[in-house]
Amino acid sequence: MATHAFKINRYNPDDERRGHYMQEYPLDVQKGWTILDCLNEIKWKQDGSLTFRRSCRSGICGSCAMTVNGVNMLACETQALTLKSSTIVVEPLRGYPVIKDLVVDLEPLVESLYAVKPYLITKTPLPTDQERFQSPEERAKIDGLYECILCGACTSSCPSFWADKKYIGPHGFLKAYRFVADSRDEGTREHLEALDDKHGLWRCHTIFNCVEACPKDLNPTKAISELKKELVREKIG
Amino acid sequence: MKYREHVRSGGAILWFFQRVTGIYLAVVLFLHVWILHYALKEELGFAAVKDRIATPMWKTIDISFLVIALFHGLYGLWIVLDDYIHKGWLRVFIFGAIAVIALIFVTLGILTILPFNPGGY
Repeated sequence: MATHAFKINRYNPDDERRGHYMQEYPLDVQKGWTILDCLNEIKWKQDGSLTFRRSCRSGICGSCAMTVNGVNMLACETQALTLKSSTIVVEPLRGYPVIKDLVVDLEPLVESLYAVKPYLITKTPLPTDQERFQSPEERAKIDGLYECILCGACTSSCPSFWADKKYIGPHGFLKAYRFVADSRDEGTREHLEALDDKHGLWRCHTIFNCVEACPKDLNPTKAISELKKELVREKIG
Repeated sequence: MKYREHVRSGGAILWFFQRVTGIYLAVVLFLHVWILHYALKEELGFAAVKDRIATPMWKTIDISFLVIALFHGLYGLWIVLDDYIHKGWLRVFIFGAIAVIALIFVTLGILTILPFNPGGY
């Protein structure tokens, strides 16, 4: 057991005059506790007004993405002692409007996701007696793409998104490429249309923050490069 | 869910051109440094370069180097600024200023390279 200082960025929309401020909570962190466990301990035993999102506590839902010691991560997947720091600074995801404390408004994330049409688009009718088949090789092409849980950690770490809040963001590009690379999808043009946009693909300057931030170890920058090649091929032939 | 307004960018061709010009510049810069600083037998000076840069081939290479370097550099600058400048009038002003700078330097460069004739000096 070790005493840690949790410095948490607080914000109460009902107290606009106070704005954002840091509040410190001491906590005896036990071996194996995740950041989410620590936040629960603080909320349940020290300050019931502390607000944060959490749901599955298994790294599946993406609700608890937040910035811990300057790095975006899932609170439920990060053990506090692995940070090797006696002070743990917890902030809401950067770039999104804060609703309260660590809860951010993910509307921009969802809106840009919808723009890339994140679903399978097909033109040929589905056979009545079978599914749309895919060979193991074709299926392997969407490995590293379909696993995205839409936690928002990547886009929140992207300087292009900080500069342009309408920027589609790495999560949108990764999701678009997940369908462009899918052998069953016949709507490449529809997926790409939203990307060749003032707020689209060409705003990515290959900064790689998204790769560092992804808690699922995915590579949005690689997906973005593939999409850029796809669009150039389409224009130049 | 409100859908975003789609604003066409035309960025694909420019993005590709920026890569192609980057490769061209790397090759020409290497040639430039190698020819001037390693392959040259005599001391680097006007006498050593005047005959070479008066030839049509070198005039062509130098003009392409000038135009492509200016395009690559200034378009790169605009790409950086483009992220951070959102006011309409400021964008027009800065884009215009970059275009004018490009035009001035292309004109000055061409006026220097094209009429260059060592016999006349």
